[in-house]
Amino acid sequence: MKVTLVSRSGREVVRGGIELSDSATVKDLQEAIHAKTKKYYPSRQRLTLPTKAGVSGKPVVLSPKSKVSDYCEKGNSDNLTVVFKDLGPQVLYSTLFFFEYLGPLVIYPLFYYLPLYKYFGYDDTNRTIHPVQTYAMYYWCLHYSKRILETFFIHRFSHATSPLSNVFRNCLYYWTFGAYIAYYVNHPLYTPVSETQWKIGFAFGLLCQVSNLYCHIILRNLRSPSGYGGYQIPKGFLFNIVTCANYTTEIYQWLGFNIATQTVAGYVFLVVATAIMTNWAMGKHRRLRKLFDGKDGRPKYPRRWVILPPFF
Amino acid sequence: MASFFSTVKRIYLAIYNWAVFTGWIQVLIFAIKALNESGPAAVYDAVEKPLQLAQTAAILEIIHGLIGLVRSPVSATLPQIGSRLFVTWGILHSFPETRTHILVSSLVISWSLTEIIRYSFFGMKEALGFTPSWLLWLRYSTFLLLYPTGITSEVGLIYIALPYIKASEKFCFRMPNKWNFSFDYYFASLAVLGIYVPGSPHMYTYMLGQRKKALSKLKAA
Repeated sequence: MKVTLVSRSGREVVRGGIELSDSATVKDLQEAIHAKTKKYYPSRQRLTLPTKAGVSGKPVVLSPKSKVSDYCEKGNSDNLTVVFKDLGPQVLYSTLFFFEYLGPLVIYPLFYYLPLYKYFGYDDTNRTIHPVQTYAMYYWCLHYSKRILETFFIHRFSHATSPLSNVFRNCLYYWTFGAYIAYYVNHPLYTPVSETQWKIGFAFGLLCQVSNLYCHIILRNLRSPSGYGGYQIPKGFLFNIVTCANYTTEIYQWLGFNIATQTVAGYVFLVVATAIMTNWAMGKHRRLRKLFDGKDGRPKYPRRWVILPPFF
Repeated sequence: MASFFSTVKRIYLAIYNWAVFTGWIQVLIFAIKALNESGPAAVYDAVEKPLQLAQTAAILEIIHGLIGLVRSPVSATLPQIGSRLFVTWGILHSFPETRTHILVSSLVISWSLTEIIRYSFFGMKEALGFTPSWLLWLRYSTFLLLYPTGITSEVGLIYIALPYIKASEKFCFRMPNKWNFSFDYYFASLAVLGIYVPGSPHMYTYMLGQRKKALSKLKAA
């Protein structure tokens, strides 16, 4: 069979099209495209069926596991037109996460160990380091080490790759906030809260971190080893009452850190991170409710908190 | 009901745009008069009141964008108005040492020319439903020169204000305090200068894109 590959403006991406056997999969098609175009490796390709005039909605994305012939129209199994979009240079999700988390892990201890504050005009020489500042550093480094380890050993990603531009954007976010918070918590003029308060803060935070890890393990087991799988209704532990329990535990974990360390910088980070995760959670909750609508034998998605009981 | 609201909206926007337009005409006239009679050092004092009024009124434009009254994206209006307000209030008003610099003249002239064209353009659109093609051309072409002159003046004035900012401790909030918070106006100003580095090309290319769209529509008409 022959596949005609066009860009969204209608121009032919591979002149003369691509010849494939009738039983070829989309993955074979992707590899053929890569062979012919050299720079478009499979994870950079977004292949869709042409949208029909007058038909609204998102175009159908070709899935790598399916056969190309599955997308042909009835009676026309020899020819298929596929629309190609270049997603730009891609990196593995694990690469992206590794670098965005490495920054805070390295930057924060710099403010703790090195006499940097003299460059900001403060006298660094006779400072006392409060116990809470030391524990905050351990807590922070534990958090980001956990995130890196989860990236490599726990998470199963639905998409293997992410655009390269996200590396710059995400690293800017994590690294800037990391430095911003680290500057204040390790400051020579830092004012600690009461011992009771920081003990409660760290204990609560640690509890949430452990819960967060457990949530990630549950999510991992929802997906098959190849990482390719449809959505499933998350269940077990906090997922029984909250759709995005993993985000919930992450947010409360940062709250614990902030109760213990009490900086405006930390709370600003908490608010921004919560806003971002709430945005993701709303999308996920909506998708799950749409998919599991109770019709055609599919289970109905149970009534649950979206992300932050008891508020939302 | 819908057409009632759209008429009210039109009347409001027409009044808003023409009112601010008059403010900027005043700024330009006072500036030129001062330049003629006394020279660049006198420009700020001559334009201060209408400048502050007209520039601060622009805050309404962010609200217009947020509530959907106008189509301009907040991502384009916010940096523009933010930088204008920072220079007007945060630099010129707060640090009088900067007011006699020659960059104030180039700043005021760049801003007023741009705004006179912009506000009359939108004012006509709202009041009359159309704009003459020469005004459309002006709106989407004068920025080619006035953005660089305006941005250079803004950056230049912030830069010369820096030593005064550092020495004065104005707007600074220091540690220690129980919220472990601080604000250093000098560092904040440096950060604003930093934002100009990606911000200026962003704004300029945004206008270039708008120009292409607007002028091609003109040709097609």
